[in-house]
Amino acid sequence: MAKTDGSTDSRQPLISIRNVCLSYGNFQALTDVSVDFYQGEMVGLVGDNGAGKTTLIRIISGIIPPTSGEVYFDGERITKFYPKKAIDLGLECIQQTIGICDNLSVGRNYFLGREPTKRFFGVPFLDKKKIRDASAKVVHDFGLRDTVDVDDEIALLSGGEKQTFKIARAVTFRNRVIIMDEPTNHLSVRERAHVNELAVQLKQQGLLVIYITHDIFQIHRIADRIVIMENGRKVTDVPRDAMSAEALEEIIRDGGRTPAKGVKSA
Amino acid sequence: MRQFIGSIVRRHPEGVTISMVVLISLAFAVITQGSWLSVGNMQSLSQLTAVLAIMAFGEAIVIATGEIDISVGSVSGIGALAFLGLAPVVGSGLALLGALACGILIGAMNGVFVALLGLPSLLVTLGTLFLFQGVGYAVTSGFSFAATNSVRQQWIYNAVGNSGVAGVNAGVIWALIVLVVLQLVVFETPVGNRILAVGGDAASSFSRGVNVTKIKFGVFVVSGLLAAFAGVLDAAFIGYADGSFGATMELSAIAAAVLGGCHLTGGRISLIGTLFGAFVLRGIQSFLILLGVQPQWYILVVGLIVVLASLADRTLTRFATKQ
Repeated sequence: MAKTDGSTDSRQPLISIRNVCLSYGNFQALTDVSVDFYQGEMVGLVGDNGAGKTTLIRIISGIIPPTSGEVYFDGERITKFYPKKAIDLGLECIQQTIGICDNLSVGRNYFLGREPTKRFFGVPFLDKKKIRDASAKVVHDFGLRDTVDVDDEIALLSGGEKQTFKIARAVTFRNRVIIMDEPTNHLSVRERAHVNELAVQLKQQGLLVIYITHDIFQIHRIADRIVIMENGRKVTDVPRDAMSAEALEEIIRDGGRTPAKGVKSA
Repeated sequence: MRQFIGSIVRRHPEGVTISMVVLISLAFAVITQGSWLSVGNMQSLSQLTAVLAIMAFGEAIVIATGEIDISVGSVSGIGALAFLGLAPVVGSGLALLGALACGILIGAMNGVFVALLGLPSLLVTLGTLFLFQGVGYAVTSGFSFAATNSVRQQWIYNAVGNSGVAGVNAGVIWALIVLVVLQLVVFETPVGNRILAVGGDAASSFSRGVNVTKIKFGVFVVSGLLAAFAGVLDAAFIGYADGSFGATMELSAIAAAVLGGCHLTGGRISLIGTLFGAFVLRGIQSFLILLGVQPQWYILVVGLIVVLASLADRTLTRFATKQ
């Protein structure tokens, strides 16, 4: 585990969110959120449904631009928000509901957006052998069924297998940031342990891991820092050792009304 | 066994159409006592199929992204009128370019409304269908455009018109060229992979870095271009065109694509199937003509086939994807 005594502030954050707001019409999804993420740490982003966790990471991964506020990546201000930009910067987001096109083969999904090519007469054609070999290796390294054929439509995989596939895809390309949005939903106990192990390994390799979950007890065991969101605001941002999982859970249950350590105000 | 058949059906959605082509060809040949299969009928049938297929290929690419283009009938009419209208003035080479440019522009117009502004393609292209039908009537004002004798001497006119190689019409050769190019683009290149991905799940493709707007804009441009080209081929073959040229062709183009195994929900298409789909529709039409049935019945038969084909398609897909 990395040191998490709050002295990280001297380093430049890899991702810095400053005073970000996002509204859909009258609905304020994020209100004045400021948070820094550093290289080599695992941050647990926790909160109830509708707290704004997923909205925040959608901004970070370029899917939606913020209404106001600033986002910096490696010290550089991001002005245009689109997923390709985030991917090119080395940011990979494993999202709950999207990321896979059911109609494409496993291999084509693996390389979607960065297809390897071979040129014939200057025209880039898909390098199908590379697509097949590379994706088959990954699929088998991550322990999917042996009967999975990477040329078959990915729709044939089970929910858990698709999730494993998304994680495998995010991990095997060289990245700097991995964002996991509820990565252990739909997973069996053993698969869950495997995913968490993987998250820790990625952090140890020096990546920034942002791990979104409902389960404070699960994330408290592995994260370096816990950020709690509620109603579109950041309510708590503490190093793991500063608070117990129980105290943090109380804050979530309280809807962020008690930022102090589990002391209930009447 | 089930898994084996399932995997074949999944990977070759055009299989049903191709077997249908074989069966009805046999039936038609027997019923008409061979005249349906005669060289003459096959030649005119292949030319008609080629024109419809080129239009349907463009339609299939649009369907691949989960959108639809019902303006192709009018676009082919504009292509035909632009070609025949311009050819006597600027020569058939420039006229051809002008006609294709019209198709590209109309396609781009559809693309702007659908891809950039996010309007439903059904409404947008319904609008341009009527709009350019209107333009067609307006520019011809009740008359028709015909190829002059000097135009008929020009080699470009003949290259897209009434010429051929070894008994195969020029239109058929063009359709095969378009088929090969599109087949390679859609199934063998990154752009094609992204076209299919957008149709399968636009939000997921976007999150993987695919420029959904560019892809959707592009397919409408291609559809417009191919519809105009189909119009040129048809006009150059017949030698004249009036304001109603291409009318209701959009129905046949969509039907050919659907029959060929293109899923209207997007992401799954077959261009080879679409070619066979076009052949089935044109084959039925010529069969009805040979039988002496009123041509109006053709539209009824097309409607019936499309409904039955979508039913068969869904049943088969369910069978194939069931674990």
